[in-house]
Amino acid sequence: MFMNSNLFEPGKSKPERNFVQLAVKQNQRFDGRRSNDCRDVVLTFGADWGTVAVSLGDTKVLTHVTCDLGAPTTSRPNEGKLQLNVNLGGVAFLDEVQTTHDQRSLTLNSLLERTFRSSRCVDLESLCVAAEQHVWCIRVDINVLNHDGNLYDASTIATLAALMHFRRPDVTFADDELRIYTEKEREFIPLLFLHYPVSVTYCIYKSSGQPIVDPTLLEENAADSVIVLSFNSYQELCTLNAGGTAPTNVRTIMQCARNAATRAKAIVDFIRKALSMDEERRLQGSRLIQGLVGLIGETAHKLSFRKLMGQQNQELQAPINEKMEVDNKPIAKPEVEEVKTKEESSKQETDIPMDSSSWLPQDEDSQELPTPSEASSSKAGKGKQNRSKSKGTKKKLPKKQDHSDSEEEAKQVI
Amino acid sequence: MTTTSTIVMPGERITAIEELAKSKRVILGPGLRRQDETVVASKAGPLRHKEPSTFWVDNYQRRYIPARGDQVLGIVRSKAGDLYRVDIGAADTASISYLAFEAATKKNRPDLNPGDLIYARVLNASADIEPELVCVNSVGKRGKLGVLAEGFFFKCSLNLGRMLLRENCPVLAALTRELPYEIAVGVNGRIWLKAHSLRETIALANAIVALEQSGYAEIDKICDNLGDFLQA
Repeated sequence: MFMNSNLFEPGKSKPERNFVQLAVKQNQRFDGRRSNDCRDVVLTFGADWGTVAVSLGDTKVLTHVTCDLGAPTTSRPNEGKLQLNVNLGGVAFLDEVQTTHDQRSLTLNSLLERTFRSSRCVDLESLCVAAEQHVWCIRVDINVLNHDGNLYDASTIATLAALMHFRRPDVTFADDELRIYTEKEREFIPLLFLHYPVSVTYCIYKSSGQPIVDPTLLEENAADSVIVLSFNSYQELCTLNAGGTAPTNVRTIMQCARNAATRAKAIVDFIRKALSMDEERRLQGSRLIQGLVGLIGETAHKLSFRKLMGQQNQELQAPINEKMEVDNKPIAKPEVEEVKTKEESSKQETDIPMDSSSWLPQDEDSQELPTPSEASSSKAGKGKQNRSKSKGTKKKLPKKQDHSDSEEEAKQVI
Repeated sequence: MTTTSTIVMPGERITAIEELAKSKRVILGPGLRRQDETVVASKAGPLRHKEPSTFWVDNYQRRYIPARGDQVLGIVRSKAGDLYRVDIGAADTASISYLAFEAATKKNRPDLNPGDLIYARVLNASADIEPELVCVNSVGKRGKLGVLAEGFFFKCSLNLGRMLLRENCPVLAALTRELPYEIAVGVNGRIWLKAHSLRETIALANAIVALEQSGYAEIDKICDNLGDFLQA
């Protein structure tokens, strides 16, 4: 197996950075992808429940979920615990100083915490055995085996897949006595989910307005800013992490968000499909993959995103491409206003149900967005009003992002 | 150079060289070690032989070990007094004095900043002190050395770098038939490349990276259809 093409981190020298900036400007990528093409996602399930290896091109992440009975916290006595533990040790960043290495794993850890813990994707109350006494503590170990960019997506996909794959033993609590059943006595129980979040990463460069999705390490290091958006399968925003120095306008972020939501949905569908295929394999009793080498080796039973979702993906991809191209066109001022009003109109509609049912799927809303005919017709009569309104949204939107960033809950953006 | 290769393992005694050493002088290259009267391999890989009597082990390696006279590509890390710290992919960062550039004086310093790429020669390499680089030859001319601006830069294994630097290497000749380009290959497994357009540079870089892990024998075959790589 040929891992990273070099031992040292790419994208740290000026020629590399300038070259990537130039390439992005000309809409070219080093591996021949287009700016909105993602690398193939490959899932491999291990013999144990909750062991998943994910590879995104050369980026490889291995996650393992374990569970244990423990005491709950006093503040939440009837909830189980979910612990995420990131280990970047598998990657040798030899030209990295210790501080940036720590920073990297901290950033990744906090992103995963926000995506999975703060968004409350796992129903922790179902993990309670006896309130204030015994709860299940779920621990997710995320081991980064190789880093070729976009560690965020790889780890969120791996974590989600591992949590969905994981099964805990059944347990009863009677007369102050815990009884844990083995797999032979009672069937293991999968975890309960409230929603399924997956992140999508974009890189933004000063030289071009077009963000690129799923960056490689070279692209990521050369990028001026990296935006990570976590969406769940109901297309609700769970996390937004925007950093860096490139000036990004609201439109770019909204465009990223729209594509990320579609992508996240496709990924979750893919994980579901892969899980069902793995289940089938287990029922058939075919040979399970044992050990680490088997898991990341060539002989493992690999489930590829492109292969599994090939048919559906093409259907999905087509409208996205169209949308991106439309957005790309250098647009005159009135059209900008149109987009703003469009966003606003959809926002007004989503604002109302947001508080009452933030978890419920609302597909109508997401379909509401691309209706330029409606927006333009509403725009026709009231030019001045629109201008003032669009100013209002400009102020409102960034605020809203801050909100969703810091707030510990998933909110709808689309 | 013979292309037939025997694979040797670390610790393996190589009697063929010992036999030859009885009759004439033998030069042992990297990966071979003399222990009293025996010759032992210290690295794993194919044993290479160059007439009349030079032997070395061509092991797969990514970590560069500096040696005097090597031409390397380095990234400037920082300025430290009258030195620049340069990352050449070795265990330690190398240093280059600002006087080690063509026409540099105390008043006229070269304009180097962190992140710049330089092509330099190793002046001094010892296990105990940090390697020292120069960007001029013995008569004070820069020759091919100096700062590399623009272009694209990537890293590969030391083997690939060595292979490209080999005399009459078929790869670069085959690529020249397809496209005009400028290239600087460092023995430390770093390559700088510049072609007319961005697309051409990307294609060339991909073609060179594709050669990674191909042996000497296969490379001639691959070179015949390198053009296909460039098309893709």
